[in-house]
Amino acid sequence: MLPLFLLATAKGEPIQVELKNNVTINGYLVDCDSWMNLTLENVLEVDATGEHFKKFPQFYVHGVEIKGVRMDENIIDRARQKEQRARNWNNNNNSNNNQRRNYNNRYSANSSGGNRGNQRQR
Amino acid sequence: MTQNQNRSQTAGLSDVFQNDSEKDLYLESYMYTTAAALVGSIDKIVTVTLREGRVFIGILRTFDQFANLVLQDTVERIYIGDDKYAEAPQGVFLIRGENVSLVGEIDLDQQDKDLEKRSQIPFPEAQRIRKELVAAKQAKTTKERELMLSKGFEPQS
Repeated sequence: MLPLFLLATAKGEPIQVELKNNVTINGYLVDCDSWMNLTLENVLEVDATGEHFKKFPQFYVHGVEIKGVRMDENIIDRARQKEQRARNWNNNNNSNNNQRRNYNNRYSANSSGGNRGNQRQR
Repeated sequence: MTQNQNRSQTAGLSDVFQNDSEKDLYLESYMYTTAAALVGSIDKIVTVTLREGRVFIGILRTFDQFANLVLQDTVERIYIGDDKYAEAPQGVFLIRGENVSLVGEIDLDQQDKDLEKRSQIPFPEAQRIRKELVAAKQAKTTKERELMLSKGFEPQS
């Protein structure tokens, strides 16, 4: 579970981003990428003195300008669960390779179950 | 052969270092260098100092190759002089690696011993005092700089 995976888990949730120039940005995380670039919605920007506020419907933060990100308390637990689910899904798919092969063969020419439209016409 | 070499090296180390804690500090005793050396500190309470001088203390949960850190139950702490400190809870805090200047595990007993000597003050007050201290220091540096320049010296940095 890497820091950026944790950030990706926080998509759709309110976060607080602190920039290098001490500007604070409160908003709902829409998306993030591997450079930590963020897009946010419903943003309240607080300037470095903490006295002036601005509202923005959409907001983009360049990753390089970020100092830190504050997130919800239980985000770590949820990221762990998400990671575990992804792992289980992978395991199941690997162990069910036989089933998948059957599924792929179902419509092949020599399988009895094939009832493709063009076969019927012949 | 290699094993023998390793063994002789380790034996050599115990001669060189007086105690285990000194040996722990020796770089070759780490499995990894750079950011990966943090694996040993995971799920432990660490202190993180940023380049700008702020201090965060929390449980280190994850990190990556850029030393991006995720701290849980974080507090930002300000030490003022030898007798005051202030704390502000920060929750789960992701710190971008660029800003980190120092990460270290904390000895809880030592920390408590230190904090016992200090009195806790409200965080905004501590922030104000720190701001004043920084401003005073800056003013002093500028003054010194001007003085040196007036005497014909080029001050360093």
